[in-house]
Amino acid sequence: MEEVYVEEFMSPGCVGCPAVQKMLEELKEEFGDKLTVEEVDITVDTTRASQYGIMSVPAVAINGVLKFIDVPEKEALKKAILEEIEREE
Amino acid sequence: MPAEREKRIGLFICHCGKNVAGGLNIKNLVESSKKIKGVSFVAENKFSCSEDGQVDIQEAIHEQKLDRIIVAACSPSLHLMTFQRCGEKAGIEPQFVDLIDIRKWTMHGSPQKTSPEEALKKSIQLIDLAVKRMRLKRLVPMAEIKAEKSILVIGGGVAGLEAGLDLADKGYKVYIVERLPTIGGKMALLYKVFPTNDCAPCILAPKTAYANIHPNITLLTNSEVKNVSGHIGSFNVNILQNPRYIDLDKCTGCGECVEKCPVKVKDEVFSAGLGERKAIYIPYDQSIPKKAVIDASNCLYFQKGVCRLCEKQCPTDAINFDQKPKSVNIKVGAMIAATGFDEYDPSGKSEYGYGRYKNVITQFQLARLLDIDGPTKGQLLRPSDRKEPKRIVMIQCVGSRDQKTNPYCSNICCMYALKHAQIIKEMVLPQTDIFICFIDMRTVGKGFEEYYRRTRELGVHFIRARPSEIAEDRETKNLYLNVEDPEIGRLLKLEADMVVLSCATVPSSGTEELSRILGVKLDENGFFKEMHPKLRPVETNVRGIYICGSAQGPKDIPDSIVQAKAAASCADSELRKNKIRLPQLIVNASKLKKGDK
Repeated sequence: MEEVYVEEFMSPGCVGCPAVQKMLEELKEEFGDKLTVEEVDITVDTTRASQYGIMSVPAVAINGVLKFIDVPEKEALKKAILEEIEREE
Repeated sequence: MPAEREKRIGLFICHCGKNVAGGLNIKNLVESSKKIKGVSFVAENKFSCSEDGQVDIQEAIHEQKLDRIIVAACSPSLHLMTFQRCGEKAGIEPQFVDLIDIRKWTMHGSPQKTSPEEALKKSIQLIDLAVKRMRLKRLVPMAEIKAEKSILVIGGGVAGLEAGLDLADKGYKVYIVERLPTIGGKMALLYKVFPTNDCAPCILAPKTAYANIHPNITLLTNSEVKNVSGHIGSFNVNILQNPRYIDLDKCTGCGECVEKCPVKVKDEVFSAGLGERKAIYIPYDQSIPKKAVIDASNCLYFQKGVCRLCEKQCPTDAINFDQKPKSVNIKVGAMIAATGFDEYDPSGKSEYGYGRYKNVITQFQLARLLDIDGPTKGQLLRPSDRKEPKRIVMIQCVGSRDQKTNPYCSNICCMYALKHAQIIKEMVLPQTDIFICFIDMRTVGKGFEEYYRRTRELGVHFIRARPSEIAEDRETKNLYLNVEDPEIGRLLKLEADMVVLSCATVPSSGTEELSRILGVKLDENGFFKEMHPKLRPVETNVRGIYICGSAQGPKDIPDSIVQAKAAASCADSELRKNKIRLPQLIVNASKLKKGDK
């Protein structure tokens, strides 16, 4: 794919969300333009979370596929992004 | 299929009449959007959701060979499904249809409305992001799952019972979970209901009794939902059944154990703190199930290891001190949250002295005092000296329409104040002077205005003002209020034997915890948030979980019944097809565990 779009589902009162946010900021520095991160506040955009079947935050979807619920290990998150970058269409 | 072919993205910019077009330069937005990487086609529609607008989109899909579309218009909660259906008709997989809200920046009345320049800039950014997301989005295959023909209703009040009975009559297996030892909710404790002044437990009893014997209904009282996973059609629910210390199959509800129990405690729940009950008790005569329950926190055996008089007295050996909390797992296709409301605790409004002055009570407490089966058997006696009050002042909007506590109108307080005034004047103490201090009298509903007029005709006094403070005479325990009456233009000094506070309706305790368990969002006031306030008032952000009654916001009994029926109908519409088509990712999501991939 060469490019990856990450949707980070969060809410204002979420305890684990800042940790995921920090991981993604660090990965963004590492991957540069190849990685786009969008924060989706599920209290505002309820429909998007519903489309993914998300019932709790944090959650992470990569290129339209829900990959993590709760706070993932940073290495697992990085691996999932790399797999998507290297994926052939 | 060539990669490029798969990524022909069409963008449709909706004018929404003047709602969007009046707030930004559409031509500039169209031109800027054409330059975004990945956009193959851009068109504008006056109303994309109209029949013509949808035909235009479908024609463009065919002519431009589009396989992914984005509509820039209004909120996805309003119209995403419209455009997904529209796209699907032209051969586009619903996952590849997106709707983004640019109208929030342009429409008059929107809290986020901004200048045309700013709206244009923000819209371009949002479209850019949506196009990138759509360009990289992978197709997730659809899965067809079997829908469980069972429903969980959380809350055994009038709304929950109505929804549960409707669904049980349609053939669904219904579980009704109630936190308290009896179903019936607040309505069972109201004595009478407006605007007919019917006896509340009498008109509720057909529902509670039917729920108790319905072959498709399982009542789980004294129980709480602890965990939920899964998705529509297949939710896994863990329920904790707290011990009653009574064998339900053996208990006949004779009450002999209650008579013998030596421990008396204040009954906070069923007598609103104005009466007493024993440590083993039956909540009230029409309780369902009419079985005893032991309050372990006040039972001598549990606290000091002595007594067990109830056990000796029970003719059917129904007492079981060894009962433990029980974990129950069920699988249901849908859920309905009908968790009701609590009365606002006015002790936070120190100016009214609630909790300090014995003769300041709430309307819910007054309902219990007026109830012929309540703590005073229907005698209206003021708490300080158990004398009949000669003058009662009611204060409206306590904790409602108040920026310091709850900004919303609680909807039912005007009517229940009128109801109690009528009951006192007509049935209990006709000579009592009643003053109602109000901000606005809101009597919107069938027969409500007539009810208000009738109350006035009974001689109840209405003062458009909110007393600033209540003082108490330490000797007599009488109460003094200063009220500025704008209609006569002077300060009134009222002396009252009793003051009744018409308190706000607030979300029931535990709503926040349940919202976390269900994944259903709360609104700014802490009630469950509906998918759309006008068009989808009983659906939530989680497909397959519905809300009704006061769990969604303050409302009276008829409105709660209407919503309960609507929630039941929504659940039925989804589950009656037996099979539900869901994106595989939703099915997968239910299997994902913490940190899993």
